[in-house]
Amino acid sequence: MALNLKPKTWPGGVREVVLGAGSRKPITVGGGKGLPLHTFEATFPWRPVLALEVTDINPRTWVGAVRAPWEGVLGQPAAAAQRAVTDFGADLVMLHLVGTHPDRGDRTAEEAVADVRGVLDVVSCPLIVKGPGAGAKQNDILSRVAEAASGEGLTLHSACQEDYKTLAAVAVAYGQVLVAESPIDINIAKQLNILLSEASVDIGRVLIDPLTGALGYGLEYTYSVMERMRLAALGGEPMLSCPVVCLVGEEVWKTKEAKTPAAKEPAWGPEAERGINWEVATALPLLLAGADVLVLRHPQALKRVRRQIDAWFNGAGG
Amino acid sequence: MALTGLQIFKLLPNTNCKKCGYPTCLAFAMKLAAGKEALDKCADATAEARAALGAASAPPISRVVIGSGPRAITVGEETVFFRHEKTFVRRPGLFRALDPRGLSAADLAARLDEWAQVRHERAGEVFQIDGVALTESNGVDVCASAAAAATQRGLPVALLAATPEGASAAAAPIKQHRPLLVPPSGAAMAPYVGVAAPLGVPLVVSAADLDALAGVAADAVKTGVTDVLLEAPGTNLRDAHRSLSLIRRGALDRIHPGLGHPVFLRVGPGELEKAVLGITKFTSVITISDAGSEAWLPLWTLRQNIYTDPQKPLQMEPAVYPVGEPDARSPLLVTTNFSLTYFIVSTELDAAGVPSHLAVVDTEGMSVLTAWSAGKFSGERVAKALREMGATERVTHKTVIIPGYAAVISGELEDALGDGWRVLTGPQEASDIAFFFRDVWASAVCAS
Repeated sequence: MALNLKPKTWPGGVREVVLGAGSRKPITVGGGKGLPLHTFEATFPWRPVLALEVTDINPRTWVGAVRAPWEGVLGQPAAAAQRAVTDFGADLVMLHLVGTHPDRGDRTAEEAVADVRGVLDVVSCPLIVKGPGAGAKQNDILSRVAEAASGEGLTLHSACQEDYKTLAAVAVAYGQVLVAESPIDINIAKQLNILLSEASVDIGRVLIDPLTGALGYGLEYTYSVMERMRLAALGGEPMLSCPVVCLVGEEVWKTKEAKTPAAKEPAWGPEAERGINWEVATALPLLLAGADVLVLRHPQALKRVRRQIDAWFNGAGG
Repeated sequence: MALTGLQIFKLLPNTNCKKCGYPTCLAFAMKLAAGKEALDKCADATAEARAALGAASAPPISRVVIGSGPRAITVGEETVFFRHEKTFVRRPGLFRALDPRGLSAADLAARLDEWAQVRHERAGEVFQIDGVALTESNGVDVCASAAAAATQRGLPVALLAATPEGASAAAAPIKQHRPLLVPPSGAAMAPYVGVAAPLGVPLVVSAADLDALAGVAADAVKTGVTDVLLEAPGTNLRDAHRSLSLIRRGALDRIHPGLGHPVFLRVGPGELEKAVLGITKFTSVITISDAGSEAWLPLWTLRQNIYTDPQKPLQMEPAVYPVGEPDARSPLLVTTNFSLTYFIVSTELDAAGVPSHLAVVDTEGMSVLTAWSAGKFSGERVAKALREMGATERVTHKTVIIPGYAAVISGELEDALGDGWRVLTGPQEASDIAFFFRDVWASAVCAS
């Protein structure tokens, strides 16, 4: 008795969003017409892409294991971005303007603009720009950056339900992509996209950030919310059909398991390998749940996740 | 297919006798349909009803026990494709691979002793090595003694066989401890079925593709193997993912009886990614060659995450938890008993390097904002909880720090605590705790 394995088909799919424009070499993400990575039964025109995170200031909270590959360029975003793309093979770069936070350096919008220009000058890939976190400062910084890099198709991270109007207007005015962030809540994700489209944002220029819980720190919540979003998108729900971006690196390298040195917890194994494994073991389930863009910190994690994505889409390696 | 409440109702006597504890047969039928009751409670159910319900309620994936005693593991009995539909119930057994060739009896004993004792506690769960997967090599008889030694230590055993004869020699002496017999991938199954059936031990079957796999599994059951596992075909992640997904889907849709079994996966050295796939996607027994905790900790933790019941919020036991080694002058913070909240706050406290007391109040697993909205984190409730758990006795400064999102309860909490207690509003995000200690806490306490 032969098995009747009919491919599962769906009325909807994930939207395609083009990251980068102008002087950028654009990347298209999304477009999947089936359950995540079900390449055996549905079409996936674009494979998931991998970004590395670079920062405007020397990130004091990064532990040794994740600082090591960036030694010499920490706090030098242009040099770090170049290393991310040329040496580490990142598809794109996320510039985290952490130093503009009032408590973390209080850098000015002019400095932020200079950092963005510096990165745009040395790499040709699309750029994600993450502000210092919700609030007046974030809106100011990201608005000025978006204006200065008008037409570059930057991905601005991020607008949220409580504070989206400024960035919605800025994204529309300067031709940027907007990340809509929701707190692991499918209803808020949908509501925010409705609000954004009412504010004239093209939903085809939006990525959803469902808020990433690292392995052991709420990964399962993010995982299930993403599975439900993908099912909604496949069912034809237009407001949940945006590609999904997950900020894996920053969540993983905050965890006790990634940070604690083996000297303090000898039974946990060497910390460098443990941290990279933690990042890989967070990234892969999120890909399986439907992530289209992953932002990582450790180049070794990127390399390992890349090998799996290549196996999925080329049928080689693995 | 499972029956609906109404279909079950038609099979019941419809006497509303209440002997089952429910007011009507319909109410009882609804509970049966939801899987919350058993038909045994109906004193008057007919044999026909029992048969119909039994067949319909048989799980789409069979149940298999490996090992014996307190460390025996049960796998299978899954009912959903997506964990959010209900929950995944039987966490996969993670077996550590061991090739006993060339090991002296003393070395082997030492290693098994060590493995049997591995314990890591995390979020209310104890992580252990669930079993040992022993390589059996053609013509070498150490496997049988290793299997016996592992069994003596209570560890479930999987036998990675090279030959039916070797498998039989290792499995027969410990058959009552239900070792899992694993033939080489793609080997002819008949000789191994011939070993497993008379011994009554669970057997992994394999084949080149899913068609053949379903066929050999069904044949094994017909030949008398009660407990079958399926080895997922595919060496790279894409192919393994395809197999795992289609086996689960086919089992739930009951397209072939041969697919309704738990799934087995081998993970070689340096293949953490494959184990991650297996744990995330439907695998029930995984043999892992890697040794170190840097590989096992993420895998155990992933299993804990994926197999958490999504319908039940993760909760911490309400109590005062020390971070570092706090004393009576250390800060006292209060938060909710949602595990995620607790983990994030305690991690940030730890990172801030300020020893402190973290009081976790029972909010039924809700996060701060939700708990406050639902009235579970009101000033009065928090005050009562702090007193009951003795948090107020731990510090002399009479200051408690509340989450920024619950700032509005500070007046009510001060009143409810009385006795000169002060409430400080902390940051909204745990990531700002270090700044809070630097900027607010020091001056607040010095001023008092």
